[in-house]
Amino acid sequence: MHTATKVAGLALVLVAAGAATGRAQNNASMNVTANVFRPITVSADRNLVFGNVFPGQGAQGMALASPSAGHFSITGEPSASVSMAFVVSPLSQGANTLPLSLSGTYNTVDLPAGSILGAFASPTAATLSGGATGQLFVYVVGTVTPAANQAPGNYTGTVQLTVVYQ
Amino acid sequence: MRASLTILSLAFGAASPLAAQQTSVVGVRPLAFGGLFPGVPRAVLRTDPASSAQFDLKGHPNGSASLTFLLPAVMTGPAGATLPLVFGGNDAGFSASQSITSQVGFDPRTSYLATFVGNRASVFLGGTANPSVSQRAGTYTGTVTLTVVFF
Repeated sequence: MHTATKVAGLALVLVAAGAATGRAQNNASMNVTANVFRPITVSADRNLVFGNVFPGQGAQGMALASPSAGHFSITGEPSASVSMAFVVSPLSQGANTLPLSLSGTYNTVDLPAGSILGAFASPTAATLSGGATGQLFVYVVGTVTPAANQAPGNYTGTVQLTVVYQ
Repeated sequence: MRASLTILSLAFGAASPLAAQQTSVVGVRPLAFGGLFPGVPRAVLRTDPASSAQFDLKGHPNGSASLTFLLPAVMTGPAGATLPLVFGGNDAGFSASQSITSQVGFDPRTSYLATFVGNRASVFLGGTANPSVSQRAGTYTGTVTLTVVFF
């Protein structure tokens, strides 16, 4: 009996100590997540070539499917929304310029037929293809209209395409 | 003898602290940075109802609790690539009402002593992800741990 009383007394002391501390600890873990998009690449893989044009004969250009049409390839995050912006410099030779008008299409498959590019002066919204790699292809065509007194020579300009995620 | 044994049995039952039986911490929502562009940092505010992390606490009315985060310096992604994370001095918030719109901000990098009103509260966490310009594309994850000591 004496031994049992000692054990009970010890247990009560332990309980008292726990109550005096009165604390409990809990923890939980949580994920932190992110998805880094693939960088966008833009390749100008074919120049827009008007070839020989003649003064005073009106607008001269090419069809979308022509090998002379300009061609851009874009890759990035599959199914991502992007914005395409163009900067077009004058078609010039020194101080002489050749009137230029551009049009084009874009498509998630590499075909000339596609959605019509809007005004080149403002950005165009598009969506990259799904699948393993997000893709978009842009075809650029246009016309030049040499004046009757157009100075002869080689005229050059640039069409710059910038694509950003939106 | 029998009486002594009865006392011993009760003593062990009470040795499991009452506080431990009534407190809890549960992760409710992950800290989600979503889609990131290489080279473009993205901050998630602790008040963001969709992207901030949320932990729900169960404690004692008018009780106190010490909140301590274990924060990752990076998330880990494809082929072991890492994406740096930064937590600022106001990126954590405590809400005694469990309302994301009613928080008291605190620094998640140091312990914070919170006071309960009722028996439930929430802790919210934001942060900033800093992908490099050459950040490898893919999914990145990390782990945040919140340890709560209830008094």
